[in-house]
Amino acid sequence: MPEYLNFNCSKTIDCKQGAVRAVRYNVDGTYCMSCGSDKKVKLWNPASGLLLKTYGGHADEVTDAAGSCDSSYIVSSSLDKSIIYWDVSTGTPVRRLRSHAGGVRCVCFNEDSSIAISGGRDNAVMCWDIRTRRLDPVQVMKEAKDCITAVLTNEHKIYAASLDGCVRHYDIRVGEMTCDKVGEPITYLAQTQDEQCLVAGCQDSTVRLIDCETGGLLNEYKGHQADDYHIECGILQSDAHIVAGSSDGYAFVWDLVEAKVLQRIRISDNGGVVHSLATHPKRQELLFARRRDMYVFTTDLQIEEEQL
Amino acid sequence: MDEEEHLHRFGTPLEPLEKDEVPAKKPLSIEDQIVKDENGKRRFHGAFTGGFSAGFWNTVGSLEGWTPQNFKSSRGEKAAAVQQRPEDFMDKEDLGEFGIAPQGIRTRDEFAKDSEKEQRTGLRKRKLMQPQVDGPIPGVPVLEQLLRPVRDKVAVRILKSMGWKPGQGVGPRQTRKEKRQTTARNKREQYLLEHYGNEGLPSSSRADDTGDDDDDEEEDEDITFAPDDYEPMFYTPKENRFGMSYSGLSRAPVLSKASTPGTAMQHINLFGQLETEAKKKQLSIRGQAFGVGAFEEEDDDIYARDDMTRYDFSLADKQPKKKKVEHVQQRHVIDGFSEDKSNSTHTQPYTIDLPRDFQPRNWLQRRSRFAPMDAQRVRKLEQAQEHKMSGLGRHDLNPEQRAELLGEVQPTKKNPFKSASSVRNQQERSKSLLDLISSKSDNFTKGGLITATGEEQLASTPAMVELSKELQQSNASILEQAAAKTKNLASTTPSSGFKPFLADEAKQQRYEQFLNAKLKDDEEITKFLADLQPVTLSLWDREMEKKEFIQAAKIYRPLAGLMLDRFVSEATVQAEQQQEQIKPAEQKKIVMIRTKNMWKPNALLCKRYNIAEPFGGALPDPEKELKGKPKMSIFDYLETSINSKANFQTPNIIPKHLEVPHKPKLAPDQHKVPAEPPHKPEEQSFNTVEPSNKTAIAVEPPAIKSNFVPKTPLELAVDASRDQPISEKTDLFKSIFDDSDEETGAATSAVEEEPQQTAAEKLAAMQAALGIPITASAAAANVLRNNSPPRGLFAALFKPSEEQPAAAVPAKFAPIEGNKLKIAYKSREERLKNDKELAMAEIPSEELYGPKLPSQMKQASSANDSKQSDEANIDAKLQQLWQQHAPTKRKAEHWVERTMSSSEDTVDSDEDSSDSSDSASSKAKRAKVKKSHKKFSVKKVKKSKQKTKKKSKKTEKHKHKSRKKKSRH
Repeated sequence: MPEYLNFNCSKTIDCKQGAVRAVRYNVDGTYCMSCGSDKKVKLWNPASGLLLKTYGGHADEVTDAAGSCDSSYIVSSSLDKSIIYWDVSTGTPVRRLRSHAGGVRCVCFNEDSSIAISGGRDNAVMCWDIRTRRLDPVQVMKEAKDCITAVLTNEHKIYAASLDGCVRHYDIRVGEMTCDKVGEPITYLAQTQDEQCLVAGCQDSTVRLIDCETGGLLNEYKGHQADDYHIECGILQSDAHIVAGSSDGYAFVWDLVEAKVLQRIRISDNGGVVHSLATHPKRQELLFARRRDMYVFTTDLQIEEEQL
Repeated sequence: MDEEEHLHRFGTPLEPLEKDEVPAKKPLSIEDQIVKDENGKRRFHGAFTGGFSAGFWNTVGSLEGWTPQNFKSSRGEKAAAVQQRPEDFMDKEDLGEFGIAPQGIRTRDEFAKDSEKEQRTGLRKRKLMQPQVDGPIPGVPVLEQLLRPVRDKVAVRILKSMGWKPGQGVGPRQTRKEKRQTTARNKREQYLLEHYGNEGLPSSSRADDTGDDDDDEEEDEDITFAPDDYEPMFYTPKENRFGMSYSGLSRAPVLSKASTPGTAMQHINLFGQLETEAKKKQLSIRGQAFGVGAFEEEDDDIYARDDMTRYDFSLADKQPKKKKVEHVQQRHVIDGFSEDKSNSTHTQPYTIDLPRDFQPRNWLQRRSRFAPMDAQRVRKLEQAQEHKMSGLGRHDLNPEQRAELLGEVQPTKKNPFKSASSVRNQQERSKSLLDLISSKSDNFTKGGLITATGEEQLASTPAMVELSKELQQSNASILEQAAAKTKNLASTTPSSGFKPFLADEAKQQRYEQFLNAKLKDDEEITKFLADLQPVTLSLWDREMEKKEFIQAAKIYRPLAGLMLDRFVSEATVQAEQQQEQIKPAEQKKIVMIRTKNMWKPNALLCKRYNIAEPFGGALPDPEKELKGKPKMSIFDYLETSINSKANFQTPNIIPKHLEVPHKPKLAPDQHKVPAEPPHKPEEQSFNTVEPSNKTAIAVEPPAIKSNFVPKTPLELAVDASRDQPISEKTDLFKSIFDDSDEETGAATSAVEEEPQQTAAEKLAAMQAALGIPITASAAAANVLRNNSPPRGLFAALFKPSEEQPAAAVPAKFAPIEGNKLKIAYKSREERLKNDKELAMAEIPSEELYGPKLPSQMKQASSANDSKQSDEANIDAKLQQLWQQHAPTKRKAEHWVERTMSSSEDTVDSDEDSSDSSDSASSKAKRAKVKKSHKKFSVKKVKKSKQKTKKKSKKTEKHKHKSRKKKSRH
C-alpha cells in the first residue's frame, strides 16, 4: 500500500467566469476545463495556470464538461437543456444537441468518444451519437425518478446516479438494467480504475463505496459536510484514496479500506463550498473548484520542496 | 330548400350578382364617401363652399348663386316691413329634436305639475297624501296619473279665496311664539314618522313642551304668521277589535264586479248572514260587462243569488223623505255649506292594548347586522344567559360568602396554587412598587416631568423642587428595583411584569393571583376568581373582571414570557443540533437493494460500444412499439398495457357477488378440488404473457385483493373480451346492447356455470367415462366448450396444451377463449345482480320487490349450493356433455332462427370466429332450454345442438371419437 502523501496547493487560478460549476481534467490530465456560471467553458493548463481557450455559446450556466479521448473535442452540458460539442482548437461549437426537457446536469464520453452520454433534470439519460450528424439521441433511458446527477461509462456499461437514491447500471453487453438503490440522494458518482467499484457521494454527508458486481455496500466515508450542495467526490488514481469536497471549505481524503480521514485539506481560509473536484488520471493530483477559483493540489510539491 | 328553411339568417344578404356584371371590387374611397342628410342631400361640403351647406341648398357659388329676396314695391303695394325671426335663419335641422331650437310637443307647465316633477326628482312632497286604494289592483290608479285637472280643485280655490297662498299652511294665523312651538312639534312628529314609520308611532304622544322656551323678546300679539305648511299625520281610527294591522278576510267581491257591497252581483258571499243590514238597501242592478244594447233590457244576473232581503214585504215607501235643506247660515261655516252632522267621526276608536314592554320599531328600516344591539336587548340576552354562566342561584355564592352568611369563622385564606409566603412576598413587592409608581404617576399628572430637564423646569417653585427631589429618589429606587428584577428575568414570575389594573389595587392582586394560577379552562377561571372576588361584586362585574383578566393576560404578557417564546438560548440550540446529529447516525442503516430489469440497448449504441447486441437484438423493444403506432385505437392501448409493462401485476378481480357462493363450498369438504373463481381467465391471460409473475392462481394474494376496486360486470365483460377478435365480441356487444332477448337465457346459462364448477368431481367421472381427458378445474373444463382452435397469440400457447393430456397441463394454462365467453355471458346476470346491490343476496326472496322469479331460476340464483341444485346442475352438465359427444342430427326448433341469423351475421367476417360465436350462442340457448325442460326435453335439445353446423375439423373428429366411444359403451 502506497504511503499517503499530503496534498498541497500548487496553484490557484482565478477563473474569472463567475462561480465555477465544475472542474474537469482532460483525458490525460494535461489540461483542465472549468465550467462557469457565465455560460462559458474555459480550457486551462493546470500546471502553469494559463488560460488556453474560452468556449462560449451556451445560453445558461455550464454544468459539466468532458474532453474527448483525442483531446480534440469537448462536450459540455448546460442548464439551457443543450449539450454542445466543441472543437477544441477552433473554439467553435460543432454540434448542439437539444433533446433534454430540463437542464442538463452531467455529460461524459465513452471510451472512443463516439458516444456522448448526458443526464439531466428531466430524469433522462441520453446517449448521443457524435460521429454522425444525428441530432436526436441514440437512446434515452428514462428509468430514473429524479434528476440525474452523474453519468459514467466504461467499455460496456453506463452508470447513472440520480437524486432518487439509485445508481443504475445499463449493461449494454447483457442487455440489462441494474438498479442499486442506496436510499439517499446521490450527488456524484466516480469509478475506480479497475472498474470494480463505484464511489457515490450521497446527500447525507457520506461517500459510499459500492460494489459493481453484487451491488453491496463496501464502505462508508464520513466527516465532510454535504448539506444541500452538489458535492462531488472522486477516487485517486492509485485507487487507494477517496476524496470529496465539503461545504465548509475543506476537502477530505479518506483511506479506501479503513475509511479513515487521512487529510483534511484546507482549500481556503475564507470558507466557501468545495463542490467540484477532479482527480488526475495519471498522477496524484487534484483539482478543486471553490467559488470563483480553481485550485490545483499535488503531492509532488512536497517532493519538490524536499528535493530543493 | 328544406335545408334553407332550417337556416337562420343574420344581416342583409348581398344583392345577387348579375351574370354579366362584374362586381365592383374597389371600395369607396374616403373622398367619395359623402355624408347625407335625411333628404339625401349633401350635408357637408368642401371648405371652399363654407363647410356646411351655404345658401339655399348650398347654392352659394353656384350659377343661381344666393338669390336675395326680391324687392317688390309699388305704389299700391308697398313693401311690408318684414318681421324676421331667428327661425328664418335656421336650418331645418336646428329645429329638430337635437337642434339648437328644438320644437316638439310636450306638456305645458300648467299640466306638467307635481306628478311629473315628482317623477323627475323622485321626491314626493306629500308622502302621506297618497290616494287610498282599496281595489284589488295596488298602486296609484293610472288614469289619475294621466289626467290632470286644468284648474285647481275646488277646495284649493276656496282656500285661495280665503287668503291662502301656496306654500303656506292651513289654519288660523299664529303668533311668533305659537309658530315656533308648532314647528318644533311638527319637526318632532316628522322625526318620529321617519323613525317609526306610519303606523308604529308611539301611542303616548309626548306632551307638548309648553313652557320650555320662554323667549325674552315678547313679540307683539298682533303680528301673526301663517302656519307652516307641513304634512299632517293621518291616523286611521281602529274600527275593529282585530290585532294591529290585521284585516280579516276581504269583503270585497273578487269575482263579480259589484262596486258596492251588498249588491246582487256577488256569487260567493262569505258573509251572507252577517250582511243583512247592508242588504236592506234597495237593490239596483247596474250595467253589465257587455252585450246590452241601447234598446235592450238588461238580463238579470243569472248567477245572482236570490234571497228574501231583496223582496219587499210591505207597500210602504222605504226611503224616508228627504228633508228640505235648511239654508241656515252657521257661524263657522262658509256660506252655502252646512256642518257635518254625521257622527261617524265621533265613534270612539278601539284602543289597542300594547304589551307593556312594547318597543316601537320601524320594520321598514333596515338595520345592519354589524350595528350594535340596543342596550335593552343586550341586557335581556345577558339575563337570559346568566343562569348558564352562574348556574342556579345557589352557585352564585362561594364558600366564603356562604360562610359569611352562616356566621362561620373564616379560615385563613390560602391559595391552593401557591405557598402563603410567596404570595405575601409577591403582594409586598407589588405593593411597594405600586406605591412608587402611583406617586410617580401623581407627579406625572400634575404636569411634572421625570426627566432631568424637567427638574429645571420645575425648579421655579420651591414646592415643586421638593417634589422633584422626591421624584428623583423614587426614580432611583425604581431603577434599582428594575435592575434587580431584570437580573433574574427568566426566573421572575409573570406577575412581576406589567400591571394593567393599577387603579384598583385589590383587582390587581386578584389579577396577579389569577396569573399565577395559570388556569386555562374557562370554568376553572370563574371558579378561581369567585373565590377571590369580594361578595360585594355583582355577577356582572365578576364576569367582566374575568374577561378583563383573560384579555389582560393575553396582552400584557410579562417581557420574560415574551422573550421565552421567541428566543432560545444558544446552549439548547446546540444541544438540539447535537442530538440531531447523533440520531441520524444511529438510524442510518443503508440497505442496498438491487433490482434487475431487461433493457434493450439501441443497435447503434452497441455498435458504437463495439459490442454485439444482446440476444442478437431479439430483445423486445418497448420504445419502438410505442413509437411505431401513431394511430391510437382502444384495442392497441389494451394490448400494450398487457404486453409492454414487464412488471405489470394484474389485480385479482373478485367481484363480491361472485365470490360469495364459493366460500361455503370450500368449507364443508376440503378434499374437493377448490372451485376457481370466474375471474381467473383474466389473470391467466396476463400470466401467459408475463411468465415471471408466479403468483399461484388457486391461491389469491389477499394484499392485492384488498386494494382492488371491484369492477362492474360490464367492465369485466369488456376485460374478458379484450383479446378477442371483433367478430368474437358480438357476445359482449349483445350483452351490452341487447336487453330483453337473451336476458333469461344468458342468466340461466351463467347460473348454470357455477354448479358446474363445484361439481368438478362428478364431471370428471363423466368425462372419464366419455374418454375426455380429465381437467382439474372448471376453467379447464371450459376447454371442452370451445370447439374452435386457438388462434393468434393463444395459438402458440395453447395448441400444445391441447394435444398433451390435459391432466398434465397446469391450471394456469387453461385456454382463455372459453372462459372469456363465459364471462361475456355472465355479464348479463352480473349486471342484474349489481343492480340489486350486492347485499340483496341475503334478503329473503319474499322481501324482494318486483315480479316473482320463476321457482327454478330462484333456486339457482339464490346461490346456495344445496345438494339438490348441485345435482340438477350436474345433470345438466352431463346432458350437455352427452350432447357434445353424441351423434348429431338436425332438427328445426322454434328458437333456431335466431341463432341462424346470428351465425349468418358472423359468417361473413371470419369463419373461425363465426364458429365460436355460433357455438357460444347456441350454448346459451341450450342452457336456457335445458333449464326449462330439464328432465324431459333432452332429446330435443340434443337435436338442436346439431344445428351448429360449422365446426372445425378437429372438433368434428373429436366428436366422432366420442361417438364411437359412446357406441362402445
